[in-house]
Amino acid sequence: MNQLLLIPIVAFAKLLTLALRVSGRGSGTALPGYVIGRYFPFVLESLVSQIPTVVAITGTNGKTTSQTMLSAILDQRPGAKVLRNKAGANLSQGILSELLKQSSPLGRLDFTHAVLEVEEATLPRIASLLKPSIIAVTNLYRDQLDAYGEIDHTEKLIRDGIAQCPTAAVVVNGDDPRTARLTQGLGNATYFISLAPEYARFLPYEGQLNLRDVNSQGLEATHIHINEDLTTDFAVQGQINHQAVHLPQAKTVSPGFFHVYNALTAIAIANLLGIDGATAVTGLQTFKPAFGRGEILVRHQGDKQVNYRLLLVKNPASFSLSLELLRNISALKLILAINDNTADSKDVSWLWDSELERLNQADIDWILCTGLRAKDMAVRLKYALDQPPGPIPTAESIREAIDLSFEKAGPGDTVFVLPTYTAMLEFRKLMGKTLDRV
Amino acid sequence: MPYALTITHLYPDHLNLYGDTGNLIVLRRRCQWLGIDCTVKSLTMGEVAHSGQTDLYFMGGGQDTDQVAVVNDFHQLKYEAIRADTEAGVVFLGVCGGYQLMGHTFLMGNGDETRGLGIINVSTRAPGTDVKQRCIGNLIVELDATTYAAMQTMYATPRAIPRTLVGFENHSGQTHLGDGVEPLAKTIAGFGNNGAAEYEGARYKNVFGSYMHGSLLPKNPHFADYLLWLALGRKYPETPIALAALPDTEEWAAHDYVVQRYG
Ligand SMILES: [Zn+2]
Repeated sequence: MNQLLLIPIVAFAKLLTLALRVSGRGSGTALPGYVIGRYFPFVLESLVSQIPTVVAITGTNGKTTSQTMLSAILDQRPGAKVLRNKAGANLSQGILSELLKQSSPLGRLDFTHAVLEVEEATLPRIASLLKPSIIAVTNLYRDQLDAYGEIDHTEKLIRDGIAQCPTAAVVVNGDDPRTARLTQGLGNATYFISLAPEYARFLPYEGQLNLRDVNSQGLEATHIHINEDLTTDFAVQGQINHQAVHLPQAKTVSPGFFHVYNALTAIAIANLLGIDGATAVTGLQTFKPAFGRGEILVRHQGDKQVNYRLLLVKNPASFSLSLELLRNISALKLILAINDNTADSKDVSWLWDSELERLNQADIDWILCTGLRAKDMAVRLKYALDQPPGPIPTAESIREAIDLSFEKAGPGDTVFVLPTYTAMLEFRKLMGKTLDRV
Repeated sequence: MPYALTITHLYPDHLNLYGDTGNLIVLRRRCQWLGIDCTVKSLTMGEVAHSGQTDLYFMGGGQDTDQVAVVNDFHQLKYEAIRADTEAGVVFLGVCGGYQLMGHTFLMGNGDETRGLGIINVSTRAPGTDVKQRCIGNLIVELDATTYAAMQTMYATPRAIPRTLVGFENHSGQTHLGDGVEPLAKTIAGFGNNGAAEYEGARYKNVFGSYMHGSLLPKNPHFADYLLWLALGRKYPETPIALAALPDTEEWAAHDYVVQRYG
C-alpha cells in the first residue's frame, strides 16, 4: 500500500487524539483506532507490518501478565524496542490506537518487537493482518455466565485465527484440554507449557486431556514454592526445537500457579525469539505486576503503615486460585470486594461456583466483605466455612472498608484484597492510584 | 429421633451453570445446622434411576448440547422412576435451564423448541413479538398465598419471614403453565415466567421450578427450609415436623438488600 496515503491518515489520528485530550475525554480512548479502522481498514496492516517480530497473546486469564513478563525479558536484549498495547485495550481498535499513537508523523514505527494482547474473539478478525510469528494461548476458561457454549465458540475462533497463520509457532497451555488441542490437525509448530502434575491438579480445568506424544516440545515447571511474601520460586525443564532447557532457579514476583504459567509462556516465547534461559530469568525479575495482579498499595497514617495486596478476581477460576494461594499466609487478613456493575457481572451467582471452601485450610485472622454485593459475599462465606469466625462483618462502601481494615491491621501488616474489576478500580482510586499512573 | 434425608443432584457434570451448586451447598449446610443427617448423591449420564431412593431432587441448567443429551438419557434411563417419585410427592427443584428442562418443551439457544423431561406440565417457547430482549436482571417476587401460609407453620417457634423471594434471571425462553400447575410467585420486579403473565416459577405437588439463580436458596433461606420441611414431612408422616429457626442474619441482610436496591 502507498506509504504516502498513510501520512494524512496518521496525522488525522494524531489530531483526533489531541482533540480528545484537550476536550478532556481522556487519553486512553480507542476512538482514533475505531474511526481509522472503520474508514481505512488497511492502516492496521501497513503499520504493524513495519515491525519485524509480532507476538500475539490471547486466552481467558493471564494475557496482560504474560505480555508484561515477555516485555521485561525482551528489554534485556540490547537494541530491543518493544511496542505493546495497554492492558485491556485488546480489541482491534485498541491495538490500532496504540500503533497510531506510537508512529511518527510520517507513519513510521521504529520497533523491533510488537507484543500484543489480543482479545479471544478478535484474533481471527486480525490474525491475517498482524501476521504474528508467535501466537500464545494462556488458557480458556468458561465465563461465569456461559449458558450458550460461548467457550466452545471461542475455542473455534482461536483455532480459526491460528489457521490463518500457518507459519506461526504456537505456545499453548498444555494442562488445559481446551488449549492443548488447539493446533490438532493444523501444521503449526506447537510448544506446550505445563506444571508438574502435582501442581496442575489444583487447577480447575474443564475436560479430558489427551496424552501428548512423547516427542512434544515445551516447558514444564517443577519445584514450585510459594513464599510467605507470595513471590514464587520454580524450576523449568523441557526442550524447545530439540534443545534441552533447564533453569534450576526462576522466580516471579506475581503470586501463584497462574503466574508460573504466565512466566513459562514468556520464557518459551523468549526462547523461540533466541533469548537464552539465563537472560529470561533475569528479565523476569525486573517484571512488575500489572494493577490488581499482585500489586501492593501502601497506606500511611502517622507512624502506621499497612500494605494492601490486590489479587483481581474475575471468574470462578481466578477466585478459586487466589484462595488456594492464601492458604500459605499466616494470620490472614482478607478483604473480599464484590461489585455487580456490568464489568463485574451483574449476576453474582458465580460466587457460588468459586471454591470459597478452600479457605477452610487457611489460617484466618479476619475477613471483611465490601462492595455493592458485600452481603452476598458474606452469605457465601458463611456457608463455605466449617467454623465461621463469628458474624462476618460487611461494609458496602469500599472507603469504609479501607478505614476499618486499617484500624484492624497492625503496623506493617499486609491485608489481602480480592476485588472484582470495578471494585479494584475504586479501591485503587481511593488509595490514590489511577489507571493512567500504572 | 434424628432425621435423615437423601438429596439427589441430577446431572451435576452437565447441568451446573450460574451457581447451581450453591443450592446444594445451602441444603447440605442447613441440614447440618438443623441436625438432619443429609446424604447428597449424584445421578448422572448413563445411570439408571430407581424410585423410592431419594427425598429431594435438584436439577440446574446447562448448555444446549448438554441439555439435549440429558433429555435423551432421562427418557431412556430415568423417566419412569423419577416420575413415579414426583407423583408420590417427592420434592423436586429445577432452576433456570433445569426449570425449562422439566417441562414438555424447552427452548434451545438457536430458537428450536425441543422435547423436555415431562415431569411438570409447563412448556417453554421462543419469545414472541411481545418480548423484545432476553429476560435478564434481578428478579423479586411475592410467594403465592398457599405456599406462604404453609411456610409460616414450619418452625417450632413462630418467626417473621418475608413473603418475597429474590434472585437473578437470565433467559430468553417464555414459560407457560399448563393445567394443574400453579405459579410459585407473583413478579414484583423483573420478568419471571414470561413477559406477559407477571408470574414466576411453577409448582405441581412438591415439584418446583424457578428462573431464579443468584443462587436461589442462599438468599431465600425460608424457601430452602420449606423444601427440607416438605421432604421430612413426606418421609416421616407419623410425626409433625417443626424446624428450629436458624439465625439467618447474613441471609436476610442479603435478601433485604436486593429488595431495597432493585425492588
Ligand atoms: Zn438462568
